[in-house]
Formats: sequence, structure tokens, C-alpha cells
Amino acid sequence: MSDLTIDPISLEIMLNALRSVADETYNALTRSAYSTNIKERRDHSTAVMDANGRLVAQAENSLPVHLSSMAGLMRALLDKYPGAEIREGDIFVSNDPHVAGGSHLPDINLAMPVFVNGRCLAFVCNIAHHADVGGMVPGSIAGGMTEIYQEGLRIPAVKLFDQGQLVRDIFDILLLNVRVPDERKGDYNAQIAACRLGERRMQEFAGRHGPETLETAFGEIIRRTEDRLRRAVSEIPDGTYSFEDMMDDDGCENYDIVIRITVRVRGGRISFDFAGTAPQTAGNINAPINASHATLCYVLKALVDPDVPNNEGVLNVCEMIAEPGTLVNCVAPAPCAARANTCQRIVDVVIGALKDALPEAAVAASNGANTAAVYSGARPDSGETYVYLETIGGGFGGRAAKDGTDGVQVHSTNTSNLPIEVMETEYPLRVSRYELVQDSGGAGEHRGGLAIRRDVEPIGHVCNFSGQGERFRHAPWGLFGGSSGKTGRFALILGSGRETRLSGKPMSVEVPPGVTISAQTAGGGGYGDPEKRSADRCQEDFDSGKFSPEFMKRHYGFR
Amino acid sequence: MTWTVGVDVGGSFTDFFAVNEHDGRTAVHKVLSTPQNPAQAIIQGLREMCDDHGIATHAISRFSHGTTVGTNALIQRKGARVALVTTSGFRDLLEIGRQTRPSIFSLQLDHPAPLVPRGLCFELDERTGPGGEIVRSPSDVGILETIDRVRESGVDACAVCFLFSFAADSNERRIAAALRKGIPGLYVSRSSDIYPEIREFERFSTTVLNAYLQPVFDEYLTTLESVLGEIIPSAAIGINQSNGGLTSIGTGRDYPVRTILSGPAAGVLGSIHVALESSYKNVITLDMGGTSADVGLVREGEADLSTSRDVAGFPVRLPMIDIHTVGAGGGSVAWIDRDGLLKVGPRSAGADPGPACYGRGGVEPTVSDANAVLGRLDPSGLLGGKMKIDLDAARNAIRLVAEPIGHSVEATALGISDIVVANMVRAVRRISVERGYDPRDYTLMSFGGAGGLHAVEVGRMLGIRKVVVPHSPGILCAMGLVVADMKEDLVRSTRLPVTDGNLESLRPVLEGLAKDLDDWFEAERIPGCDRDCQIALDMRFVGQNHELRVPLPDASVDSAPSGSRLTDMFLTEHRRCYGYANADDRIEIINVRLTGFGRRRRDSSRERKRSNRELKCPRPVTVRPVLFDIATDTPADTPVFDREVLEPGQWLRGPAVVRQLDSTTILGPGDILLVDEHRNLVIDVS
Repeated sequence: MSDLTIDPISLEIMLNALRSVADETYNALTRSAYSTNIKERRDHSTAVMDANGRLVAQAENSLPVHLSSMAGLMRALLDKYPGAEIREGDIFVSNDPHVAGGSHLPDINLAMPVFVNGRCLAFVCNIAHHADVGGMVPGSIAGGMTEIYQEGLRIPAVKLFDQGQLVRDIFDILLLNVRVPDERKGDYNAQIAACRLGERRMQEFAGRHGPETLETAFGEIIRRTEDRLRRAVSEIPDGTYSFEDMMDDDGCENYDIVIRITVRVRGGRISFDFAGTAPQTAGNINAPINASHATLCYVLKALVDPDVPNNEGVLNVCEMIAEPGTLVNCVAPAPCAARANTCQRIVDVVIGALKDALPEAAVAASNGANTAAVYSGARPDSGETYVYLETIGGGFGGRAAKDGTDGVQVHSTNTSNLPIEVMETEYPLRVSRYELVQDSGGAGEHRGGLAIRRDVEPIGHVCNFSGQGERFRHAPWGLFGGSSGKTGRFALILGSGRETRLSGKPMSVEVPPGVTISAQTAGGGGYGDPEKRSADRCQEDFDSGKFSPEFMKRHYGFR
Repeated sequence: MTWTVGVDVGGSFTDFFAVNEHDGRTAVHKVLSTPQNPAQAIIQGLREMCDDHGIATHAISRFSHGTTVGTNALIQRKGARVALVTTSGFRDLLEIGRQTRPSIFSLQLDHPAPLVPRGLCFELDERTGPGGEIVRSPSDVGILETIDRVRESGVDACAVCFLFSFAADSNERRIAAALRKGIPGLYVSRSSDIYPEIREFERFSTTVLNAYLQPVFDEYLTTLESVLGEIIPSAAIGINQSNGGLTSIGTGRDYPVRTILSGPAAGVLGSIHVALESSYKNVITLDMGGTSADVGLVREGEADLSTSRDVAGFPVRLPMIDIHTVGAGGGSVAWIDRDGLLKVGPRSAGADPGPACYGRGGVEPTVSDANAVLGRLDPSGLLGGKMKIDLDAARNAIRLVAEPIGHSVEATALGISDIVVANMVRAVRRISVERGYDPRDYTLMSFGGAGGLHAVEVGRMLGIRKVVVPHSPGILCAMGLVVADMKEDLVRSTRLPVTDGNLESLRPVLEGLAKDLDDWFEAERIPGCDRDCQIALDMRFVGQNHELRVPLPDASVDSAPSGSRLTDMFLTEHRRCYGYANADDRIEIINVRLTGFGRRRRDSSRERKRSNRELKCPRPVTVRPVLFDIATDTPADTPVFDREVLEPGQWLRGPAVVRQLDSTTILGPGDILLVDEHRNLVIDVS
């Protein structure tokens, strides 16, 4: 690296251009992909990394959990391929959490080097959640699996393109192992196009500023972000803070799995020690270290400086301590398809630990889950297989200055729903209800947000349903006197209206027409003493019908 | 019957532009806006303009109006109390939206609360399926009960939004008709009427917004119609819409949401007019004002349209001129972020207190202060000296950010200018490069108070070779209104496979649309010779979810286009936008669009008076030091020209400053300016 220094004005202009590259590739991927996961739910991210694999800039709408998966892929890739084997026009692909830095198999990672004057200047990366990567159940996410081999195709870091030429053999293997290959091919094409677009833009960018200046800028951007976040951390009172919470279960009949954290803050340094957390478990809620680390980055940013840019500097500040073989740092062959549920719980646990240090920023426990529902089956008209995955939002925790948001994706996930009209047009399913759940938000001076209920019924065929629920046993807790939110549940509703409750992580349940699958998430916990809730807010809760007269009377003495 | 008048009501000024269709004479006028009752300024200005220019009021045959009444009512939450009637099981749809938060990392930010409180959302047991099949019709009892509930709630307006009403609207129609009949005076907006397109949340949101604005807008239009009826009884009144076309008062009353972004749309129309006069067909527009900059793209003389956009946090799905707004204006504040980087905007010092250099108590460093320090603003002030420049205040403000980053005041001012340019460049890339258009093939048309100060630099950064500053950048919106056509967008959401051979399945859809369009032509009394229409198809690969719009320029409503031709057109468009296309994949049509125009007859015989005078080189009115490059560190003595005395055919070489009443244009060293025959400044970027 050269000794150039870059002033804060030029650096701002270059950072602006780098973000523009990341955003442009993000938008191109959204618009041209095939999976509903990508095109509607926006379960994808794009980024620019430097030649050493350090994250420099991420698209504005990128997902936190993808932050360190990209860094993980880059480490795996650079370990495997010596510099001379990385050539212009190469595109690398990977997804494996255990050997290629991924966080679960459906997230397919692509990286392409950007060459300028014959030298590798940077990489452009993108991650997209494919609707299916093969394995035991459609959608590749369901409870009951005990090894990663059951979760789908494992891809180490390999070349999908070699100097601009598609490696057909690899691509054939990728496509043969998935349930709807045509759709996946469309997704790969969109990801490949996004890589190439990023490469072109980065080359234009280097043409304007010169590669040496850019390399210096990359380092400077990361350094400044790290300094900035450390300054924010130094405003947290020094101390040691602990908290624990429990996962409901792992889908293999292991219940109440502990996540424990000890946060140590001293003069601008912060470490997150998971000592006391349960060992990795049989079911698929294990989190690879990259997923856990990305989650810590999310929650630290959200608590102390939400606007800090997303780059390697953030990763550097978050020190994570966790024994390999634990729930938050699992090793092969642990299954980890549903790691997002665990990540959501890590967020709650960290906030729980820091609540007294940061009472204004802290929020009560939220839905704390990434409630997933996967529907699959044979289309009644054509007999073709379909797989459709959705995740359902819930209640956000009550906040220091206002109520928690009702019916929303919380914390480290922010994926859109699929419009009902699009879903029913594309799949033989009918939504009969999509609504907020009365009385589900915990009472408090600022109450928790309401949960969501979504009822879906198969049309003209027997649907195969798998689900991943969390906070169905352990309710989202309130803060500073607020009460807990209501737990969620999966159930089948028969034609007679009778309800049969399913487990929290049902696998491959056969659902005939006339039977409704009902998914209900958890509501957020309340913040502060319910007695302090203003009469106006109580009136509003009552008038809106969001809370029943009984609830209002019991928690607020309101009538 | 010869005058057409365009009136654009803005936040500060109400602008008038009139053109005599016979002899091409024009008139311009400007009065202060009267936000409490916008019609007041319109009447006053109209009278003054007619007096000043000797225009007989009965000679005004057309009156085209751009209004922000709807936009303001939304921003200030002064719309109606609205109820929603929706499909049973979905009363929370508006509130859940797409179940996302506006910013993933913020624990505090929320989307705005819905315009219909939950207590006013009423469910009705009914259902339509994706193929337009009626799964359940509402019962008579259900309808009666719903009407009672809406009546009891005492609302002014009601939105009727059912799932899949875009595919079959009979359930929605039934309840809407029953509501109108059962509750006289109630404003009813129904989603299958407002914009019958797939995606329930966006359609519902658009419909609710329409209902929310209807009573306010109706009251305004009624007032306007009655006062204009007295002054200019023979004029046809047109209301400008966000799609860049006009509509009648009657239609405007029913669809106020269509006007929600009509202001910026008029600016783009004005640009098109100026551009076509000077024979530029491909133009990027840059309207930089006090708080923000709007950019748009014009291809072959037509503005690009987009159908989805958020307005004040609410999604609106309607065809709108595709304008990207960025927080980069003269009042944008410079600040130092926590990582020590210098940022500009999006926060603005606004008009009050405004930039420090205007001496109204502002102390924060803004883009205008940077321009003052650099010598780009006339020290004697704007508006002919009415707004003096306080250079010391500007320097003091810039020093607030210069010291922490260890730069001189001058270097920092240049940096602020560079950053605001970079922010606008990013916005232009959004609407050009990211849509597959190369800005180097375009001319940059700059207007708004601050546009001329930065346009040449923005052009330079994008590789644009020509920048045009129109003759009257301050009244471009009013000018746009005068040249606007009447316009109606019709759409049918349908799902048709693109097969080989002629697409017979398209024919009934087109026929249905054509019938609706005929009704519109009749209702708006558009003479046959002015009628025109365009067909476009939204297409995608089967399995994709974002459609690409493919216009069919030479198609007609009574012939079915060939499938192979459509395939070719779609693949070309996909390649252009995304860089690839899979020729083997199946393609489907999702929306069929028919846009009707009542073309405004343009008098082509109008001839401009050419000047026969011998041209002299323009003479600067003064010379003042302006800083262009920090490397030289000393401001260069730069000639200053008055716009008013620049004659067509004259040219000059930068560095130079061209000043006029409400704006300033800056040329860098080596840039060459030519005044064209329409008195536009045409700048060749060096």
C-alpha cells in the first residue's frame, strides 16, 4: 500500500462512489432475479471488498447477517487460491458454513475479482437466498434435521467462471441438486450479471482515481469507521454486563437451550463472551461463528451508532469469544439452516445485558425469531413442483420513548412479505387472514408491538408444510417493569373450525385442501411500568381494538 | 381565442406563462403565493398579467394549472377522515404494509402511521381469486351492515379495497355503489378504479391516499372553477398530473392522487419544450432549488415514467414522471460526520433562517455560503440587490467545518461544492446508468435557483458534453404547463404467455381498454383529430417478479402483435437494463397499458423573429475574483455578464459568471458558451 494520504473531502466523494457501485448492483439483482426471496423479500446483499478480502462498502439495504458471510467467503477463497490462481474474469461461488465462511446453505455467495492494469484491485460480492438448495425437505429449511448433509448441497469456494468461461461441470452439479433448477438458474444468472456490472463499475471508478489512490482509500475508510465506532463504544460506561435467555427448542426435542453472554466494556474496547452458552445441538438452530459475529455487529451498531458505515472496521471492533462446538460457534457437521432464529435471540440477549448501561437505546425483547413457513407440493394444474418460503414478522419491543412497532420484521432481518396477490398468482395457495393479534403486545409505559397471524390454505392439492418458529415457549420479556409479549404458535385449522396445535418446528406436515395452516408469531415485550402509560395511549389501544377490554382492565386498570 | 396560460403554484411564488397561439407572443408574470387560499394569487396574477400585457381575458382559450394543494394536505396531514372497507381477514394490511422497518439498523424509526386509523377499517366477507373468479360475493346483509358502520363513523371519505379487485372488480363495484347510494355526499375511492394493478398494499395505499385528498381537492377545485368561470369563462381548464399530462377539473376531482407529484413533472415538461425547440431530443433535467435537486430523464422527447414511488412515506403506484430527488440544494448544510468525513445535506437550512450569507440569522455552513466564499454569487446580491450577500457571515459559517478538518476556508468551500456535485452525480446515475442509459449521450438541462452554479461541473463529472440553461429557468414549470397534452393512463393486469404467432389473447384486453379510452375521449370532449394513443406491455420472464415496460410504438388496438416480435423487443430491453437475457426462457405479459392523449395542437408556422443586428462580443459588466481550483490557490479575475444583454449568436469562453434576476451560471476555465436563437445558454463542457 502506498503512503498517500487522502483528505476527508476526497474520501467522502470516493466513499459515495463505492456505495453507488454496491447499490447499483443490489438494485440490478433485485430486479432481474427469479426467486421471490430475492425479488420481493429482498433477501440479498451486495458489497465491495478490497484485494485482501476486507469489506469496504456494502449496499444500503444489505442484510446484517450477510456482512460477515461475505468476509468469510473471502477468507476461504484467499486461503484456498494463491494470488496467481485468481484471474480476471473468474467468478467464485460458495455457500458452506463450515468450510467456506457461509452462514447457512440457502445463501449462495458469489465473488468476482476486479482487475486493473493486470492486478487485482478489489472483489465485488453478492449473496442471495435461494428458495431451495436441495436436501431433505423442500426449501432446505425445516426442523428435524441433524446433519448439514440433510440441508442441501454444500458448495466450498470453487470457480463458477474461469477467466470468463463458465465451468459447466460445476454449474451442472449445482443445478442437478436443487428442486426447481430453472428458477435457480435464473437466480444464478442475475447474480452473475450483478458481479459483472460491479466489475465494470469498479474499473471505471479506478480509471478516474487511479488504483493506488483507491487502495489507500479502502484502508482509510475502514480505519475511520473503526475509530468512529470505538469512540461510540467508549461512551458506554465501563463494566461487565451479563444476561441469558433460552431458545425454545431445536426441532429435535431438545428444549430450553441457553444463550448466555458477558459483555465487557473498557475504554473503547468491547468484547462479547458467550461462556455459559449451550453446546451445539442436534437440530438446525446452530449458528456458525460468522452468523453470530454479524449479529453482534448489528446490535452494537443499532445501540450506539446506527449510521456507522458497514465495513471491516465494524467487524474489527466487535470482539467475540465463543468456544467452538457451541450453539453460537458450531462446527461440522452441525445443521444450521435456521440459524437466523438463534441470531435474533442473540440480539435480545445482548440488549438485555446492556439495558442498564444504555437504558435510552435499549428496547424490550422483540418477536426474537425469524419465523419461517415453507409450503411445497405439486401444482394441481401442471403437476410441477413448487417451493415457497416466507418469513413472518412480529412485535417489536417497547422503547424508551415510544411503543414497539406492530407487525414488523425485527432486528437483524428486514425482509419484505410477498404480496398476497403475487403469492396466490404464483402458487396454489390462498391466504385467508393476515392480521395483527389482539392482546399480543406486552403492557408497559410503552407497550410492545403486536404479533402477526397469517393463515394459508392449499388449493386443489395436498401441501407439504414445514415451519420454524421461536418464542413459542419463551415469551419476549419486558424491560424496566413492562410485561412480556404473547408467545406464538403453529396450528392446523380443520374445516370444522377445530384447531390442532403443531410443534414449534414442524417438518413435512401433509395438509389437504380445506385445512388451514395458521402461523402466529410473538408480540414484543413492554418497556416501563404500565401504570405510567398515559390515558391517551390507553384510549387509543382500546379504540383501535388492538387490545381487549379485559386486557386493558387487567394491565392498566382502564375501563 | 388565442392565448394559452400556464399557472404553477409553488411554495413561495405563483408563476404565469402565457403564449399567443397565433403570433407566438409570450408573457411572463410572478406573484407571491397565498398558501391559505391558492386561488387568490391565481386571480390576482392573472388580472395583473392581462393588464400588463394587454391580453383580453376572453381571448384566453386554455388555462393549465399545476397545484400542490394535494401534496401539502398530505404533508401537513390536513386531509379527510377516511374509512376503509376491505376483505375480511385483512383489516391490518395497511398497517403491516410490507412488514419492514424503514431502516434496518435504527431501533427508533418507523413508517408513518396509516391514514386510516384501525378503528375505521371495516371488513366485509367477500373474496376474489387470482384468476378473477369470485370465491365469495358479499351478502346483502353484509353490505347493509358495512354501510351502517361507515355511516356511524361519520367519515368524509371511504376507500374500498378488496384483494384481487384488479382481476375482477364486481365485488368492489357493488359495495362502492351501495355506499354512494346509502350515504349521500360521501367520497368513495375504489382500488379497481384508482389503479387496477397487482400488489395489494401498494394499490390500497394509493387508493386510501386518493380518498384522503378528495374532499380537500374538491373544495379547492370548486372555488377555482367558480372564480375562473367569472374571469375567463371561455377557457378550457386543465389540471396537471404527475404523469406529465393534463386532466379536466371533473377527472381531477375524482383522482386527486394523480396530482401528487405534478410540480416536478411540470418542470420536466418545460425542459422538454425548451429542448425540442432547440432540437435536443435526449435530455437529463436537473432542477436544483433551495432544499433539494430533482433529476429526470427525457428520451426522444419523452419523459421516462415510473409506476412506483413513495410520497411522504406512503407508496403510490401510478404512472409518474420518473424523478429522483436528492437532498442537494443551495440551503443544504455541510457537516462533519463522526468518522471525520465532510458531508453535505440532506438537511437544509431552508428559507428561514437560510444560508448564513443571506444575513437572516443563519449560522450553519451551506452550499450557498460555499458559493459566496468562492466568489460565485454576486456580492451585490440576488433579485437585483434585494437579497444582499454577507460574505463575512458566509466565511464564518464555512470556518465551522474548515477548522476541524484542518483546511482553509476556501479549500473547504470548494470541497463542499465538489461533494454536492458528487451527490447530484449519484442521483443522475440512478436515473440514467442504472436504467441502462449512458449520460454521455444526453444534454443536461439545468434550472431552479441553484442549478446554474453547479450544472457544468455535474455535466463534467458525468462526461456530458453539453449543458443548457434555459432562457427563463425560474418559470420553466409554468412553461411546461402550456405545452402539456391531455393524458389518461389505462391499465389491465392480466397474465398472458408470449407465444409464437399473433397474440390473439391480447385482442380482447386491448379492445376493452380501447373502449374505456373512447369513453374518456368523449367525456373530455377531445376532437377526433387530436386523439392519440400508445400501447405498452409490462413483460417478464416467467418466474421473475419485476416487469419491464416495452412500448409498442407502431401497434394499434385492433391488431394483435406478433409473439416473435414481442419476444425480440423484450429480450433487447432486458439486455439493455440488466446486461443479459435468456433467449430460451418463457416470457409473459403482466400488464397491458393504453395511454390516451388529447394532443395540444402546436402551431408550426410560428416563426421567431431573427435578429439582423450585427453581433458584438458580449461585454462583461464587471470583473471579480472567483476560485475554481485550490491548486492555484488564488482566485482568478473572472468576467461577469448580465444575462439580459446576451444576444442570440453571441459566445464567450470561461471562466465566466452569467448573472440574472434569480439565478447564476458558472463557466469553468475552457468552457464555451453560446447563446442560441431562443436565448438559451448552451455550454460546451471542456
